[in-house]
Amino acid sequence: MSETPPPSKSEARAKFRRTLVQVLVVQAVALAVLAFLQIRYGS
Amino acid sequence: MHWLNWVVVGVYLVYVVVDGIRKSKGTDSLAGFFVANRSLSWWVVGLSVMATQLSAITMIGTPGQGATDGIRFVQFYFGLPIAMVILGVTLVPFLHGSGVYTAYEYLERRFDAKTRSLTAFLFLLSRGMAAGTIIAAPGVVLSAIFGIPLSWAVALIGVPTVIYTMVGGVQAVAWADVKQMFLIVFALLAIVVVLIVKMPVNPDDALRIAGATGRLETFDFSFDLTETYTFWSGIIGGTFLMLSYFGTDQSQVQRYLTSRSIDEARSSLLMSAYWKIPLQALVLLVGIGIFVYYQFVRPPLLYNPAHEQAVVDTRGAEYSALQERYEEMFSLRSDAALATANAEADTESAAGMETFLEREADIQGIRAEALTMAEEVTGESSRDVNYIIPRFALSELPIGLAGLFIAGVIAAAMSSISSELNSLATTSIIDFYRRWARPEGTDEHYLLVSKGATAFWGLFACIVATYAATLGSLIEVVNRFGSFFYGSILGVFLLAMIPWAKGRGAFYGLIAGMSFVGFVNFRMPEIAFLWHNVIGAVTVVVVGLVLSGFGPRNAPSASDTA
Repeated sequence: MSETPPPSKSEARAKFRRTLVQVLVVQAVALAVLAFLQIRYGS
Repeated sequence: MHWLNWVVVGVYLVYVVVDGIRKSKGTDSLAGFFVANRSLSWWVVGLSVMATQLSAITMIGTPGQGATDGIRFVQFYFGLPIAMVILGVTLVPFLHGSGVYTAYEYLERRFDAKTRSLTAFLFLLSRGMAAGTIIAAPGVVLSAIFGIPLSWAVALIGVPTVIYTMVGGVQAVAWADVKQMFLIVFALLAIVVVLIVKMPVNPDDALRIAGATGRLETFDFSFDLTETYTFWSGIIGGTFLMLSYFGTDQSQVQRYLTSRSIDEARSSLLMSAYWKIPLQALVLLVGIGIFVYYQFVRPPLLYNPAHEQAVVDTRGAEYSALQERYEEMFSLRSDAALATANAEADTESAAGMETFLEREADIQGIRAEALTMAEEVTGESSRDVNYIIPRFALSELPIGLAGLFIAGVIAAAMSSISSELNSLATTSIIDFYRRWARPEGTDEHYLLVSKGATAFWGLFACIVATYAATLGSLIEVVNRFGSFFYGSILGVFLLAMIPWAKGRGAFYGLIAGMSFVGFVNFRMPEIAFLWHNVIGAVTVVVVGLVLSGFGPRNAPSASDTA
């Protein structure tokens, strides 16, 4: 596996912001699935 | 274990050492050995961060916890994404931007040498012990399952790890982490597939059975300081713990110090934020799946084969009688589980569930008797949560995949231990040897002693591992070790970001924080350990700020400056 050249500062910042949004979406989905399991199957 | 499984394990061990040595290129300087010349991509660092945190304890202890206690443990990680975002905009720019090798080095620049040395010493103390428990967890299980002495199992994991960490430094560690992470995830997914294929009931029915026993209750919103895993302890206590672990623990800080830029360091941390909760939920669901599977396929009465053998050898007749009762009760519980899954009307379902829960309680009663017997015979803790998934993997996974699972457990252990050894060596050399003993050495000299320090910590961890074997739940042991110091160390770093905080406040605040956590731990043991992180951090910040308000402004003395 070889290293790629580093992205520019603005590219890296834009990537950070995009990743941050994705993180929030994935957490929301994960928590929603867990909540669904608890509501649907919880004792 | 089938010889083909041993071949898979052997190939993995040889590959990881050879590849680690290959990756040692460019590590012939201190910056290369300790921070990979700050050249690694965000995704390499991100996977290394995740692999470091995901230890063998996660691979074997967490599914066991899922099988016995359900999914609520996932709440422990609720603070992680929050902590990662906070760190991305606070500590990461401070630490990466200051060009340090260790997080504690930064504290001397900000405060003074004694604050740096005390925090570095606490790190060496807590993580040195933790490295031992990280090897011990899989070591004990592999030793019992394969009937080999514990020292062999510890050596099997420890020796290859020490070799590639010592030769290749952080670069070898990070690249090995990447491959180990893929192996771990593959091994877990293999178990998921096998469970789905072999499960005697459909997924909906399986979830109904798991739900009937309360194992799908993720969220506990009660604000109870004595309850270990609640939504609030996860969000508040967990955030403080993760801030401290990822922001101030050298084993993690060193990962993102290898990044090419601050932005890449941030992105690498966000990768953990992205995957941690889903991955942890998957691991717990694997355990829950095994619990449901064992409703229909009879598991051993005792999961620890060494304990089972000891009981058979000394109290055979008594154990046989218990085994007979167990088999009889097992088939009754299987029928009840099936009735619960197949119930159509609500009343039928409620009645079926009641019978099932009664049978489940009977089975747990018989298990408790067997565990007591094992404890009496061996004189050891008979808690066998950590043996559930390895026993399942070896009996239910096809040949080859079972070996891959064992390789995955060893990989999970190695990925955590290598980072620990690397960071323990870095702190020993940078914060103590170079700072106090030999400030004017050459790069070659420091590189040589760094490799020696890695070997020393590897040996120390292996020795601790052979004695940590009888500790109770290994997950909690490691987290408890951390919680004793973590919150207070986080408090010092928080003080570092407050402009008017002074060295004297940081040093005595740290002592006050640890003392107070110690007091709470011994005098109020009912307070769940996750809250210790909050208590420690808040105490340090409050005491530190109060003390910073008194006395002259303390400019670091000449002797305090590196």
